[in-house]
Amino acid sequence: MKKVSKYFTLLAFALISLSNANAQISKAEIRATGLTCSMCSNAINKQLKALPEVAHVETDLNTNTFTVTLNENTTISPSTFKQSVEKAGFFIGTLVITSKSSLVKNEKYIVVDAKTIDSEEVTFQVLDKGYVTDKEYKKLSKSLKKVETYRANKEDDFHIKILN
Amino acid sequence: MRKILLLLILLGFQKSISQELFVVTDPASNIPTNSLAINTMQLLFKEKFEQGYNYHIMPEVTYGLNKSLMFRASAFVSNRNTSLVTEGGSIFAKYRFFSSDDLNSHFRLAAFGRYSFNNSDIHQDQIEIMGHNSGLETGIVATKLIKKIAISSSVSFEKAMDNSSKNPFPDSLGNNATNYTLSFGKLMYPKKYTSFKQTNINFMVEFVGQSINENGKSYLDVVPAIQFIINSQARIDLAYRQELVSSMLRTAPNGVYFNLYYTFFNITK
Repeated sequence: MKKVSKYFTLLAFALISLSNANAQISKAEIRATGLTCSMCSNAINKQLKALPEVAHVETDLNTNTFTVTLNENTTISPSTFKQSVEKAGFFIGTLVITSKSSLVKNEKYIVVDAKTIDSEEVTFQVLDKGYVTDKEYKKLSKSLKKVETYRANKEDDFHIKILN
Repeated sequence: MRKILLLLILLGFQKSISQELFVVTDPASNIPTNSLAINTMQLLFKEKFEQGYNYHIMPEVTYGLNKSLMFRASAFVSNRNTSLVTEGGSIFAKYRFFSSDDLNSHFRLAAFGRYSFNNSDIHQDQIEIMGHNSGLETGIVATKLIKKIAISSSVSFEKAMDNSSKNPFPDSLGNNATNYTLSFGKLMYPKKYTSFKQTNINFMVEFVGQSINENGKSYLDVVPAIQFIINSQARIDLAYRQELVSSMLRTAPNGVYFNLYYTFFNITK
């Protein structure tokens, strides 16, 4: 019994830390690749709007940029945006996220440009494969070749560049 | 005729092309995951050896199972036997197996297969499992999109079977063929997007050819089309098909297409 409750406590901790890790994202700016038609953009728009965490989506059809505002106190991972765009039949070219700075202190987020964050909010770009264009990924693979975790390309690790 | 063909190809390249939602061929891209599209394609083709027109109506349903795989079911209704009769149906699947996307461009490859049944009489050399023959078709398609231009090309193998026991496939005809297509599409309007509500106008030119493998009889058609995309959700296609060259017996090669298409995004949560 003791063992079971111990596992439960562990599980609860894991869940809480997981939700905390993602709860602080307030905005995501997604530039999609592989499309130029408004019907294609609409497919992405509808996929993003169907997410329960999403409050609203603004679209710039000329650049295929989707500015996603999230509901407060929701849990979302960058991978959800990737899945949504890919479900519509396209890919992410750039993903820029605005969140509380405590988010990036989570070990899942690896800051590659060694910037220190002193403000409460942070804006960062996700650099992993599938979150940048193929060309950009090739360049990053060279410049980040010393970062072992980047090469490992784990799904829930996010390598980020701080923009603010 | 060759000059016209060359001119059309040149025009196609020069004007550079949006869009790949072609009328008579399918691009390598699929419809979005969990989306359902319904459309009715209507064809009105002039009979060559008798008076009147051959009218076909094909209602279709397309579903995107995931990012790579989509399915389509079609029904074939025509007036070949004086009154409007449902003659058959078809199932189609397309799998996108390669994508190389960049900002405002992509190159994609997909494989597709189709099975159709039809119980109408067999009356021409041309094998067409979309509304005329029972049979199978399998092939690959490559699509390149660069800004407002799409270029798509496909090669497929098509085999005709008996149109039910009443209309067996004649021994005198070749029962399998190689098909090839080359399509160009260009976004003409708007020059600059302002909203999803804006109507888009696409201009397309498609070349559709077939060669019967057994005897080398072949045809090549051109299909210019204009397409309106309304509210980023609905499509109206108007196209005209004209035979350019042919060495085979075809009963009604030339005519018009009219297609109404609507997409329901995210049909289940």
